[in-house]
Amino acid sequence: MTLPGWAREPLVHFLALGAVLYVALTWGGTPVDPSSRVISVDGARQAQLALAFEQVMGRAPTDAELDARIERYVREEVLYREALRLGLDADDAVVRQRMVAKMDMTASAAAEIAEPDEATLRAFFKANQARYAGTRAVSFEHQFYPGKAEAQGGLAGKTGPDFISDAGYRTGLPLEMNDAPLREVEARFGRQFAQGLAGIPADGKWHGPIPSGFGWHIVRVTARASSEPDFAALRPRIANDWRSAEIAAREERAYAILRSAYRVDIDK
Amino acid sequence: MRKTWTIGAGLAAASLMALAMAGCSGDAALDPAQTGNGENTIKLAEFPDRPYWGDTHLHTDNSIDAFGFGVRLGPEEALRFARGEEVTATTGGKAQLDRPLDFLVIADHSDGLGATRRLYDAPRWYVKWVIGDETVLRWYDLMHEGPEGSQRAIAELITAAANGTLPEAFSDPERAREGTEDIWNTQIGLLDRYNEPGVFTAFAGFEWTLMPDGNNLHRVVMFRDGSERTRQTMPIQGIDMTVEQLWDYMAAYEQKTGGKVLAIPHNSNLSNGLMFETTMADGSPMTAEYAARRAAAEPVVEVTQIKGDSETHPFLSPNDEMAGFGVKGWELGNLPLTATSTPDMYAGNYARSALLRGLSLEARLGVNPYAFGMIGSTDSHTGLATADEDNFFGKHTGNEPAYKDRAMQPQNLGTRQGRFGWHYLAGGYAAAWARGNTRAEIFDAFKRREVYATTGPRMTVRIFGGFDFSDKDWSGDWVRAGYTRGVPMGGELTDKGSAPTFLISALKDPDGANLDRVQVVKGWVDASGTAQERVYDVVWSDMDKRPRTAKGLTPVGDTVDRKTATYTNTIGAGELRTTWTDPDYAKGQRAFYYVRVLEIPTPRWTLFDAVRFGFELSGDALKDAVAQERAYTSPIWLRQLKGTT
Repeated sequence: MTLPGWAREPLVHFLALGAVLYVALTWGGTPVDPSSRVISVDGARQAQLALAFEQVMGRAPTDAELDARIERYVREEVLYREALRLGLDADDAVVRQRMVAKMDMTASAAAEIAEPDEATLRAFFKANQARYAGTRAVSFEHQFYPGKAEAQGGLAGKTGPDFISDAGYRTGLPLEMNDAPLREVEARFGRQFAQGLAGIPADGKWHGPIPSGFGWHIVRVTARASSEPDFAALRPRIANDWRSAEIAAREERAYAILRSAYRVDIDK
Repeated sequence: MRKTWTIGAGLAAASLMALAMAGCSGDAALDPAQTGNGENTIKLAEFPDRPYWGDTHLHTDNSIDAFGFGVRLGPEEALRFARGEEVTATTGGKAQLDRPLDFLVIADHSDGLGATRRLYDAPRWYVKWVIGDETVLRWYDLMHEGPEGSQRAIAELITAAANGTLPEAFSDPERAREGTEDIWNTQIGLLDRYNEPGVFTAFAGFEWTLMPDGNNLHRVVMFRDGSERTRQTMPIQGIDMTVEQLWDYMAAYEQKTGGKVLAIPHNSNLSNGLMFETTMADGSPMTAEYAARRAAAEPVVEVTQIKGDSETHPFLSPNDEMAGFGVKGWELGNLPLTATSTPDMYAGNYARSALLRGLSLEARLGVNPYAFGMIGSTDSHTGLATADEDNFFGKHTGNEPAYKDRAMQPQNLGTRQGRFGWHYLAGGYAAAWARGNTRAEIFDAFKRREVYATTGPRMTVRIFGGFDFSDKDWSGDWVRAGYTRGVPMGGELTDKGSAPTFLISALKDPDGANLDRVQVVKGWVDASGTAQERVYDVVWSDMDKRPRTAKGLTPVGDTVDRKTATYTNTIGAGELRTTWTDPDYAKGQRAFYYVRVLEIPTPRWTLFDAVRFGFELSGDALKDAVAQERAYTSPIWLRQLKGTT
């Protein structure tokens, strides 16, 4: 489970506990009126303050220290309520940003820790086939020529009556690749070649020429994975992609729910 | 604008909270192949069969400075981007690599790991009353002011770190330990999730930020292992330590876990002579033990990245007409420019002179402390591992492309004159010759120095050294010949009384520019004990039309259109290869040989910016808007049998 650093701060725990307590105490009862001028520091509240002290200092507070804590809490509460009364929360960019970030995190936290089941992943995989096209494997041979005309001549040598077995120029490129994912082909031969290769039928015959960043190639595709990419092999990657998409979607969905309750008028 | 808060929305918000508070189901079960070092997980080639491309030096929002500069992308976005997925950059806009990387080391600063993010997220009263440090509060307020304030705060913070005046809140070891533990444990789990043997390798690592008086002695620490081992350690702080303490830490990790770890020095160009000293750090003469420890712990140096290139300096290599790439601006002083650099410091700042110092030290000590291989990386602080000229995403979020005049803006970390946006390089990449893409295979390539640096383009460069290679080898399986009858880059040859011969092959980046030339850089110690260097042009495009003159090789030409930031591959070559024998070999010489490959001139990122955003580059920035990108291989060393001189 992933938590940002601040979420491990004792202070934040304290605030979160405080929030829970606040909700628990006020649930079903009268909500605290922000304009109320009564601050109640009851036993539960004092226990929370003592606990917060203990988490930071590693020991229980003395009476004097607890009193100081209470005094600080009261001060904070007084100033907080006065600030609310003055509307200081409404205009503060920092407060706004922090609250926005909190809401986003709240929405995405569940997705970060969720474990998708098989069916969910398969559905995601199916809906995003194109993303995994680079994993389709291909087997081919090629011969290289610096110029197009020369390459066409090379092709004639392959397909004409006098078969030439080993024409073409020697280069640092491999002469053949077997069962190689498209992205591997692309890493060595470049995108232009990989695109050209995609258009060559897997019939075991010489075709081309197709261009690359190096020059021209005649190619013979001997096999190409016909089915879709392999789900099992891609599972870890699909799980990551699903998780990342899910986080974005949940933030979006949560926002949409909240947003739907608003009417927004924008002056033209 | 009018808004209506309804019960429905209130309930929705409440249920979101409830969702967040629901229990967690734990980490998804991972394939065991993902969580280890990758040994025995995939079928390996017989010999290293292609260079795997990666960045060993990427910062995310966990880095104290990166966050302050404004980045909001974390390790997961960084991994997703590197492996080819689309992410949204901090300044908005979608970003995706047109070609994925094969591996990534997330190298966040261990010093103050996550500290600025924690500070930023804290309530102001907490900073004011609990932390109670005026400087910290000032930075806090600056950070919340907006991007500019935030960048100023971080510039001050880096200077304070360099001057050893960081407020206690940042250097308190207990707070640092807690923050680090959280981030580390989360991160190594995440790395395993993204580590897919055969497809993409995610390395654990961190940047160790030793910086006495602002002189950059930073290292990236890189682990070979998965979480079952890396969980047993934690990044250590760099400030106030010595490099020997780092090596102690690394040795302790290896002993405790049975794993492996190495360190990669970088930005020696900003070290004011301290990165490659001929003495130990305290000024005493270097011992053989110290030299051996350094060589073992630091087999590779990052020689090119956004903050300049550290191959060599024109002052050190006056006869090298191609020296001086990525030197401007960076040569002025140390990292925060709190102390200027003087020429007597350069020999300790640049890789070529360090390799030479290594030979001299070896003659004295019997051990070469500076027998290192070379890589490039980005040192990007944007979470985005970009290194190409046409996709430069900035050194940090304060100069992402959203800042359209970034090329002309001052980019001083400190407060003095001297460095501008256009001094940044677009970044470099590391190429590792490995038998497959796993943690173990790539790491081991680093360890045996079978790696090379590029300034971004993905050219394929091979070099094999031996004593019986000839042109005939090219017509057969020359790679097999190279590995069976010689040594690859990073290897060592033992002098047998005859000149070494090298099989050298360079293929252009398939999606990039043609090649201008291939050079061999030789360094040696002559009979009088003096270090010497020479650059040989060994093969180039259109050799019949480009003769060597008194001024050097006839230049390849320049097709760059300054108005459109385009070039054409009508000059240069797609592939250059040659068999080269050292013409200046002398028996008993200690020497190294590395290959430098130059592309034809292409637009720099500054020219792309000028064209895209419609502004004029002026003065030096305009002169520097076109450059020849390059690759540096790790050297092959010619060594003497022990007992001979």
